[in-house]
Amino acid sequence: MTGPQTHTVLSVSGLTKDYPGVRAVDDVSFAIEGGTVHCLVGENGAGKSTLVKMLTGALDPTSGSMSVNGNEYTPNSPQDARKGGVATLFQELHVVDELTVLENLTLGMERSWFGFLVKSELEERAVKTLAAIEPSIDPSARVSRLSVAQKQIIEIARAASSGANIIIMDEPTAALSEREVERLFGVIRRLRENDVTVIYISHKLDEIFELGDNVTVLRDGKHIVTKPLADVDGRSELIEMMIGRTVFQSYSPRGTVGNKVVLKAQGLTTSLLKDVSFDIKEGEIVGFYGLVGAGKTEIARALYGADSFEGAVDFKGKPVGRTPTAAIASGIALVPEERRTQGLFTNLTIRENIPVMNLPRVSRGGVFKAADVQDAAHQYVEQLSIATSSIEKHTEKLSGGNQQKVVFAKCLFSNAELLLLDEPTRGVDVGAKSEIYDIIKDLADQGNAVAVFSSELEEILGICDRVFLMFDGHLQEEIPNGPDVDISHILNVVTGGQESVAQ
Amino acid sequence: MTSYSNQTSSAARFTSFLRNYYIYFVLVAVVVLLSTANLDQFALFERGNFLYKRNIINILRVSAPLLVMAGAFTLLMVSGYIDLSVGSAMSLSAVVYAMLAINGVPFIPAFALTVLVGVLLGAVNGFLVVRLNITPVIATLITLSLFKGVALLLVQDGVSAIKSGNFLKIPGWFNDYGRAKVLFDLPAAFWVAVAVTLALIVVQNRGKLGKYAAATGGNPTAAKLSGINTGRTVFLLYVIVGASAALAGIARSSFMSLGDPLSGDGMELTAILVVLLGGTAFSGGEGKVLRSFVGALIIMMLTVGMLTIVPAYYQTLVIGSALLAAAASNHLVSRKGKES
Amino acid sequence: MSSLTENIPQSLQREKMSDEGFITSLVVIVAVALFLLASLLVPNFFQWQNVVNLVTNNWAVISLGIFVSFLLVSGNFDLSVGGIVALSGVLSVWFAQSPDGANALSSGLGMPYPLAILCALIGALAIGAMNALFVVRLGIPSIIVTLGTMMVARGIAQVITQGSQRNTNLPDEFGFLGNLTMFGTSVKLPVVLMLLLFLVAVFVERKMVFGRITYWIGANPEAATLSGINRSWHITKLYLFSAAVAGMVGILLASEFKSGFSNRGTLMEFDALVIALLGGIAITGGFGSVIGMFFGAIILAVVTSAATGMVLSPDWQFILKAIAVFLAIVTQTWAVARRNR
Repeated sequence: MTGPQTHTVLSVSGLTKDYPGVRAVDDVSFAIEGGTVHCLVGENGAGKSTLVKMLTGALDPTSGSMSVNGNEYTPNSPQDARKGGVATLFQELHVVDELTVLENLTLGMERSWFGFLVKSELEERAVKTLAAIEPSIDPSARVSRLSVAQKQIIEIARAASSGANIIIMDEPTAALSEREVERLFGVIRRLRENDVTVIYISHKLDEIFELGDNVTVLRDGKHIVTKPLADVDGRSELIEMMIGRTVFQSYSPRGTVGNKVVLKAQGLTTSLLKDVSFDIKEGEIVGFYGLVGAGKTEIARALYGADSFEGAVDFKGKPVGRTPTAAIASGIALVPEERRTQGLFTNLTIRENIPVMNLPRVSRGGVFKAADVQDAAHQYVEQLSIATSSIEKHTEKLSGGNQQKVVFAKCLFSNAELLLLDEPTRGVDVGAKSEIYDIIKDLADQGNAVAVFSSELEEILGICDRVFLMFDGHLQEEIPNGPDVDISHILNVVTGGQESVAQ
Repeated sequence: MTSYSNQTSSAARFTSFLRNYYIYFVLVAVVVLLSTANLDQFALFERGNFLYKRNIINILRVSAPLLVMAGAFTLLMVSGYIDLSVGSAMSLSAVVYAMLAINGVPFIPAFALTVLVGVLLGAVNGFLVVRLNITPVIATLITLSLFKGVALLLVQDGVSAIKSGNFLKIPGWFNDYGRAKVLFDLPAAFWVAVAVTLALIVVQNRGKLGKYAAATGGNPTAAKLSGINTGRTVFLLYVIVGASAALAGIARSSFMSLGDPLSGDGMELTAILVVLLGGTAFSGGEGKVLRSFVGALIIMMLTVGMLTIVPAYYQTLVIGSALLAAAASNHLVSRKGKES
Repeated sequence: MSSLTENIPQSLQREKMSDEGFITSLVVIVAVALFLLASLLVPNFFQWQNVVNLVTNNWAVISLGIFVSFLLVSGNFDLSVGGIVALSGVLSVWFAQSPDGANALSSGLGMPYPLAILCALIGALAIGAMNALFVVRLGIPSIIVTLGTMMVARGIAQVITQGSQRNTNLPDEFGFLGNLTMFGTSVKLPVVLMLLLFLVAVFVERKMVFGRITYWIGANPEAATLSGINRSWHITKLYLFSAAVAGMVGILLASEFKSGFSNRGTLMEFDALVIALLGGIAITGGFGSVIGMFFGAIILAVVTSAATGMVLSPDWQFILKAIAVFLAIVTQTWAVARRNR
């Protein structure tokens, strides 16, 4: 600890970032004190990641300013940011598996003599830093032999020894086991003792209470509050500040939910999922809600046969084959999480994208019926009101919302009776969002079953009839949606609240 | 997603041991096989003993071109790139070297100029790949054709190679480099190959370039984020490969006493074979210069040894099969290593 | 990502030709322009017969280029085709030679010719199956696999011919297929087969499910799998078809020369790749057409024959190929980038 006197190491004032049609960060001002763990919380879409991107130099602010140690701070790249004393621990690891720990610690900062590496004080400092924060790691070990947590610690040591006095950690515990999380926390506390400031971003509220000194809450791009965590009255106050209201857009119960169970999943188990069982009825929209890494995508991919798993999945009384081809044949379709890399053929046209999941429908004897392909494209462009000048437009030239509608069209074309929608409105503008919700409701009204996998609570509570809450690979709880749904309870469950109660 | 170091079982340790040392076991096995097999009815292995001095010297002499290239090629593949033009670069260098010599340029300037040509050829590859961003395979296929064409053009029509004719004669010193006994009855070409390999071992283990090559091949994003100029690293590696291809061309040309524009044909495949045999992963990041050197020795021993057992026309089949086998086993071992 | 551009009145946006159509037209225009240029530079170049020759002399490479192009569109190399040409040719000779020859190279297995062809084709398919096994099952980069199988195929041919060729003791009908002229003209059967194959390939590529699947896989392998396409099986089929066509070419060439020569087809794999690249097919996958490949072959043929006509040494062909491919790739990247700016 630095003692009673506090000093500001990083401050932002009037920071704003506009995307076309959306203001992601809106006039945010706050200051971070040196030698503290400063937590940044907010729902998905609250503007956390945009703010972090501006801090690391990946994005330029539209207006406003940032300063580090009293100097103006305008980084252009993560490297630039590091030179300014701000290092970032990204969610994906940036270590080289093939090198040793020591080689990684000095990567890009070597001292050399005619091209040969020589020992430098930086190297010594790096070894000392590593020894200080995690003595169990042997500097001469190969990184490929280390665990994810140990790799993260190497990145932290590298950042700390390179002179960064501010380290941003974006969801660092997403891939860690409980024991590893404890170890990481120890590291963070030791950093704080050495007067390093940590900006800690996490959805897991327990972590924040355990670790943080101060907290900044963002909501809808706006700064809500910055205050010491000691002054926060428990999880419920934090949750209240994060959501700022108790009801979202009105959910109106739909009368179409049948009684017939169409999908029955039992004991789904993968490296992440732990014995997950549930069922879905015809005409029903169910939601799977949980944090990033809670296992939502894994469920979707298992049901679809895209990943291997243990357990049983029956669709309409019959077991589903374990490949996407078999799943499609039995009437299941998936709108995948990453539309550009998993859903679309971006360098092909709308017309060429739509028929891929149901080729027999537009061909005879292996030959396309050109008119049918065209008709199908026109039909879906119209039905889903995809804004395009022509069905011959390459899908990479469409906006995010229209791209997503093309992915929907692909799935609808397959005549699926169960649609798995993984983050169906991620990166989609507000207008297209409500159109996509209408499409989903229409589908269910026609008797199809829909499963929505989302990390946006508003989305889940807006359209789903029944909600499954996920935490850490477990299906924690099933709740019916309705006007009296308890949002604080939901957030409590998915941030691990129930877990801590149970223990 | 999550992996735990404490789960790296004895099986994983065994795989890693296998990866690091198997090449030496293969070397021993091949030597034992070739020394115990009764081959005295064949001309090349006198007195039926493989471990006979003249035989060893003979094998090491003809190995010089491959040995000198293996190290540089390894570093390039460690960085995740490939050069299919090394064979053509070698041919072109052989032709250039012979032309210089036949036109009266003394040994040292001819040698230096040829290496310089190799550097230029490597720079062309580096330019296409790094600057123009052309896929390495395609870029070096282009230069494979280009260098070969230039080599063929340099040789007069109607003649198959640069060699002594009516007016110009290949000077007497020309094949000293590849044949004259310098140390332990081995020629300079072999010792240059050893020196280059030693230098590259040091570069790989102690040099900035070696580390950057591994970082570029292992995790390019991390390398770039750490401020490493990966483009310059790759460019430099192409240049080194070009220079070593020139040394190989000189060695071959000197050994054969002529500048043959086809002398390097197929060398790119042998180089890939040797490097894969040495355990370098084609996904990059992983690989050792010394192991490729040993791999090259094994391949040369087998090639020469094979000539005493089966006719020469078996060679393509054997090399092709070895390439597939090396690629498959290398792949299986490195994947196992990664999974653990 | 902007939704603004979508809101421009649609009538104002004239639909542009697709990038692929644009590149293919560019290739055709370059082919024609080069032909006219060569006509100015080389005497007697501008003749109908010469145009015919440009196609007929290249039937083998164009045939090979068809599935090399398909595979390239799917994101895979096939450099084994030249080796397969040698292998199947040598096999067809060896199988058909009568067993009572004076020495090893003049005696074969004495199969009836149709059976010999069939077995030679099976040999070719075996190489294709090896490609598929290593690329699809083991996931080894196709460039290394097919370079290896190229050597294996040619190596087997060399072993069977003891490094030279087999051309004696063959039944009379052996030389029939490769030299059969069609429709009372001098056009031979292999050329007609190539043209048929080409037309079928264009149809398959443009109109058939099989062709589109190739593009889907090349454009986005992951999305293809998640859309229910069996990627492994499709790539396997492509390698088998490619090997079958290469086998057919080898058999026809062996028939034309009445010999099985172990060095036949040397560098044909590179030429097939070169014409595909000249035709605008991109190794990044999902882009290009066999029509482009066909005109890529014409470009290469015009350039090499014009070079011969201008009395350049035949050694120039390697340099010309290198320059042509280089220009093709740079132009394509530049043109597409400029259009999409």
